[in-house]
Amino acid sequence: MRYEVTLDDRRVRIELGEDGRFTLEDRVVAADVRETVRGRQWSIVLEGESHEITVVTHDPLRLDVDGHDVRANVIDERALRAGRGTGAARVERVEIRAPMPGLLKRLHVKEGDTVERDAPIATLEAMKMENELLAPIRGRVTKLKHLSGTKIEGGAVLAVLVPE
Amino acid sequence: MYSDVDRDALHVRAADAAYPIGTGAPRESYLNAARIIAVAKRAGCDAVHPGYGFLSENADFAQAVADAGLVFVGPPAKVQRLLGEKTAARRLAREVDVPVAQGTEPLRDAAAARDAAKKIGYPVLLKPAGGGGGKGMRVVARDEDFEAAWRGATGEATAAFGAPALYLERQITKARHVEMQILADRHGKVVWLGERDCSIQRRHQKLIEESPGPSVTQELRAKLGAAAVRIAERAGYVNAGTVEFLVEANGIFNFLEVNTRLQVEHPVTEMVTGLDLVALQLRMAAGEPLPFRQDEITRTGAAIECRITAEDPFAGFIPASGRVALAREPAGPGIRVDSALFSGMTVPSEYDSLLAKVIAYGRDREEAIGRMRRALEEMRVAGIPTSLPFHRTALYEQDFITGRYDTDFVARWDPKKVLELTDGAAASAALAAVLAQRSRAERRAVATADDPWARTGREDALR
Repeated sequence: MRYEVTLDDRRVRIELGEDGRFTLEDRVVAADVRETVRGRQWSIVLEGESHEITVVTHDPLRLDVDGHDVRANVIDERALRAGRGTGAARVERVEIRAPMPGLLKRLHVKEGDTVERDAPIATLEAMKMENELLAPIRGRVTKLKHLSGTKIEGGAVLAVLVPE
Repeated sequence: MYSDVDRDALHVRAADAAYPIGTGAPRESYLNAARIIAVAKRAGCDAVHPGYGFLSENADFAQAVADAGLVFVGPPAKVQRLLGEKTAARRLAREVDVPVAQGTEPLRDAAAARDAAKKIGYPVLLKPAGGGGGKGMRVVARDEDFEAAWRGATGEATAAFGAPALYLERQITKARHVEMQILADRHGKVVWLGERDCSIQRRHQKLIEESPGPSVTQELRAKLGAAAVRIAERAGYVNAGTVEFLVEANGIFNFLEVNTRLQVEHPVTEMVTGLDLVALQLRMAAGEPLPFRQDEITRTGAAIECRITAEDPFAGFIPASGRVALAREPAGPGIRVDSALFSGMTVPSEYDSLLAKVIAYGRDREEAIGRMRRALEEMRVAGIPTSLPFHRTALYEQDFITGRYDTDFVARWDPKKVLELTDGAAASAALAAVLAQRSRAERRAVATADDPWARTGREDALR
């Protein structure tokens, strides 16, 4: 299987073979690979150099590479093929999600309200801080999914906006 | 003592005795004075150390502890009340000839505040009259932003301190946040230990602190020390405390506030003075006289502290919570780690995002920076985003290396500025990224010691 890996602003093409070798930019390379923490950390000895790679977060993919932070992205050949030809779709609705779990302190809008871009939609209290969630676009609020005063999971959709 | 969500926390496991005090919501536990005092009595305590969050600057709590016949490790309620009310503290500073920034008394409502802001001139700083730690503080740059800032600050101040009164100060930009550590015994003796530069902040919460302050001359240090002692003496201060100042590029300084408690960043002062501040706090609370005079306090070398928080520096330092899949802390000469981290811990969303403090000491600032860089590169935290990417790169910023940074440092930090990986590191990272994705997709281990990857690598190495 072939992959294209983005490491910050650098792109690396890589192919995993069945025999335990991998191909890097069309060059066959041998590596001694140990999974030191399951699904999380690998020790890789490559041409005599030892590297430790830790997956800090999966989504988005962030790596710790020998003590340096790298933002990564992996696309396999199927996705590379599928991705071809798709343009940016028109935005039809925008979901406003809780960036972290917390208490939905206040809703600043009602369903049906039209709001300007950057207008406060909701106030989320988490980690002793109040965070105002702002409208990323000008639009109409078509759905509010939670009442103020409720505890919210991280990633939960709080409101849906339709552009106007 | 601990709340339900902290049941697994390190402080519970390390303590000789541990008592539950309620559910996760702060009001039901860490802010519940009655419950805390009841537990202290039941446990046979003779004193209560309030730490550096929650009730540590709450005069009512200090009073309630004293009324219960226990010793409060910190200044008494009347001192807390005097200095904790920020506008009263500013009046007191002026009385002893310590300069303060232009500002107001507590304000009635948003309209009154807005009028005052127009008089002082934007940008202004909206601050809770009671409180600290940067909670409920807002910079307002324009008149039209005032309503939102007032709303946010009032809500945050109410949640954090239960006291929503706000006041305004002129916002001093391009300044350094320099604070002076003081100690006072119950016999009227006050000394200053030295300064900490805490200019590297975001949302008025500190990320890096150091001592000595790279911009602080011997002369300025003596002035700040003397000013801090004058304020403490006038207030009748007892125990450890910190007097905060804003220092402008020309050396002009203004009093900010007094933190009537131990600070998060106290380790940097401990490293350069060789003193144990918590032990001294307990001695002062027990009524012992200070065991040294001002001229017996010496400072050697340099110390830096990095606060590793559960926040994503690539997303505006938004707090994160969740499970820490892996944690490994640095060690070695000159490295101290005060930490709550362990593999498998859950970072709760209810509390502050601080996970660990990494402190580096060196004979001079250069050595401390070198040790800190090495320590941060040795540290691993995975499972949740942390501030490590910020700290690792900040220590290489020219403004940090030269010591010429101010409170805008974090705002100027560019998350897109990346380190050039070596080809070997990049290849390994790419390979691990692919393996991580496959392992996650397949939900099974991909590589074990005996898989073909490892075998081929070993065979190649033996050729």
